[in-house]
Amino acid sequence: MSATLEPPGGTRGATPAGPSALARLMMLQRRFQLFQLLALGLLFLWGATTVTDFATALSIKSMLVSAAFLGLAGAGQTLVVLVGGIDFSVPAFISGGAILISQLCGTYHWSAVAAIAVILGAALLLGAINGYVSDRFQVPSLVVTLGMSSMITGGLLLWTKGAATGAAPAFLATVTSVGTRTFGVGIPPLVVLWAVVAIVLGVTLGRTVPGRRVYQTGANPVAAQFSLVRTRRVWTLTFAASGLLGGILGILVGGYTGSGNTTLGDPYLFEGLAAVIVGGTTFGARGDYWKTVIGALLLTVLTTVLIGKGYSNADQQMIFGLLILLVVAGYGRSPRLRDRI
Amino acid sequence: MRTDLRARLLGSLQTRPWALALVIAVILFVANQLARSSFATWSSWPSLLADFAPFALAAIATTPQMLSGAGGIDISIGPLLNLVSVVVVGELIARGTTSPWIDVPAALAVGAAVGCVNGILVGVLRYQAVLATLCGLFVLSGLGQALLATPAASSQSWLTHLGAQVGPVPGGLILIASPFLVWLVLARTAYLDQLYAVGGDEVAAYSAGVDVARVRITAYTLGGLFAGVGGLALAAATQTGDPTEATQYTLPAIAAVAIGGTSLVGGRGSLLGSLIGAAIIFLIQTLIDSLNVNSNVPQLIYGAILIVAIVLSATLSRTASRAAEGETVAA
Repeated sequence: MSATLEPPGGTRGATPAGPSALARLMMLQRRFQLFQLLALGLLFLWGATTVTDFATALSIKSMLVSAAFLGLAGAGQTLVVLVGGIDFSVPAFISGGAILISQLCGTYHWSAVAAIAVILGAALLLGAINGYVSDRFQVPSLVVTLGMSSMITGGLLLWTKGAATGAAPAFLATVTSVGTRTFGVGIPPLVVLWAVVAIVLGVTLGRTVPGRRVYQTGANPVAAQFSLVRTRRVWTLTFAASGLLGGILGILVGGYTGSGNTTLGDPYLFEGLAAVIVGGTTFGARGDYWKTVIGALLLTVLTTVLIGKGYSNADQQMIFGLLILLVVAGYGRSPRLRDRI
Repeated sequence: MRTDLRARLLGSLQTRPWALALVIAVILFVANQLARSSFATWSSWPSLLADFAPFALAAIATTPQMLSGAGGIDISIGPLLNLVSVVVVGELIARGTTSPWIDVPAALAVGAAVGCVNGILVGVLRYQAVLATLCGLFVLSGLGQALLATPAASSQSWLTHLGAQVGPVPGGLILIASPFLVWLVLARTAYLDQLYAVGGDEVAAYSAGVDVARVRITAYTLGGLFAGVGGLALAAATQTGDPTEATQYTLPAIAAVAIGGTSLVGGRGSLLGSLIGAAIIFLIQTLIDSLNVNSNVPQLIYGAILIVAIVLSATLSRTASRAAEGETVAA
C-alpha cells in the first residue's frame, strides 16, 4: 500500500531491466522500514550487551511505557506533517489535559468521565480551529499553532491563577504504571492503548478513503481539490485529531505525574517531532504512523542506553543529537538533485 | 490621477510584502507610546534596542536558511544564540580574555562554524533541514550546559557598553544593523540572486548551472554568523551567559520570519521583513507589559494577537497583490 504512494522519483536510481538486488532491497525498505528496524535492533543489542539489567522484563516494560508516551506525542504530529503542516501546540494540549483532569477531578470533584469528556471536546474544538484558520487564511500552521499554544497556556494560567493544585484521579496512575497488568496479561495498559492507537491510525491512513485524502492533500493541495477532495475539511479534521491525541496524552501524563502544570508538555514538542522525523515521515505525504512508532522506540532505546551508561544530562543531549544523524543517514535523506531533473 | 496613485501604491505593496507588516508595527509602536509615555524617549532608546536586539537577530539569523528553500526551517538558531553567549561570558570574559578584538571575532566564528556544519548536513549530505537542525538543537543545548552548568553573570567589560551605548550610538543599533551591511555587500554580488533562485526552484537552478550545495552552505553559514551577532546581543542585553533557556527564541523567531512575509517554502522574503516581524512580536510583548494587567493574562493576549497579525498581514498582502493584478489587466 505505502509503496504505491511513493512518487516515481524514488525508484529512478534502480536499473530498468528487472529488479536488481539493490532495487529489491529498496522496495523492502519502503515497505517495512528495514534500516529503521535494523538500527533499532542494533541499539537494543548495544544496550543489552553493555548495560546491566537492560534486557530484563521490567526494563523492557518501562522502555515500552516511555516509548508509548513519546509515540502518542508524535501521533498527532505525524498526521499534521503528512498534510503538510506542523503543530507546535501539542505541548499546550498535553499540559492542558493534565491540568484540567487534576483540577476538575481533584479540586472541583467532577466525575472522571465528565472531566475526560470536557477535555476531549475542548481539545477537538481548539485543534479544529488550528486547522481551519491555517487553511482558510492560507497562513503557516506553524504560527497559528504557536499562537494557539500561548492562548491555551494563558487561559490555563488565568483559570488556575498561576497555581494548579489538584491531584489527578488515582485510577489514571494505575493505567500509566509500568507494573500494572492488562486483563491478567503482563503488558502495561498504556502500551496496549498505544498499540490500539497505532492500529487505528495505521489502518485509517493506509486502508481508508479519509486516509487517502490526507495523502492527496499533503502531496498537492491544488490537485487534491481538482479530485474533489475538500482540503479545508481535511486540514480541520487532521488538526482536530492532533488536538484530541494531545488531550488524551495530557490526561495520561497527568495520571502518571499525579498533577499538572503549564510546562509539563514542553519536553514532548521537540522529542515528539524527532520521533516523527527519525521514523522517516517527511513534510507533505510521505510516511505513516508505523514509522513514528519505530522512531519512538528507537529514541527511547537510545535514551535508555545513554542513561544506563551514566552520561550527564548535557552529554546525553549531545550524543542523542549526533546518533540521530548517524542513524538517519541510512535511510532518511533526500534524493540527489541530479536524479530529480 | 487618483487611480494612477492607487495603482502605484498597490504595485509597491506587491513588490514589498513587508510594507503591511510595517504598518502593523507602527500602529503597535504608537499604542506602546500611548500606553506608557516613557516607552520611547531619547534616553530610553539604548535599553529598548538592547532588549530588542537578541530577538531581532534570532529572526534575521533564521531568514537566509528559509530563503534557500527545501523546507529550510532552522530550529537550531535559538540554542546557537545561547551557546555563543555562554562562550563569550563563561569561557572568554570570565577567564580574563576581555578584549573585544578577540571576543567578538571568536563569537562570530563559533556562530558561522555551526551554521556551516548545518549547511553541509543539508546541502551536501542531503539531510532534511528540520532533522539536521533538530539534532543541532540537541547538540548545542547539551554543549551549552556542558560548558556552563549554571547561569553566570558577566563582570564589567566591553559587553556593558554594547548593552548600552558605544560612544553616542546605541549598542543594539550597531548589532541589528550589522547583518544588513553584510546583506548590502552581498547584493552587489550574484549571490543573492542565486539564493532566491535556489529557494524558488532548486531543480531549475541546478539545471541552470547554479552550484546549489555551495549556495545552501553559504546561506546556513550566513545564518550562523548572524546568530553569532545575536549571541553577542543576548550577552549584552542580559550581561549573563545562561545555558538553561536554550530554546526560548526558537519558535518566536520562526513566527517573526513568517509574519515578516518570508515564505516558509523558500525563494520569497527579506531580512527587513523578518526585522519588522520581530518588531511586531516584541511590541506586542512590551505593550502587554506596559498595560500592567493581571500577570496571568499576557500569554493569552499574546497568542491571540499573534494569530490576528499573521492572518491580517497574509490577507492584506494577498488582497493588495490581487488588486494590483486587476489594475494591470485594466490598464
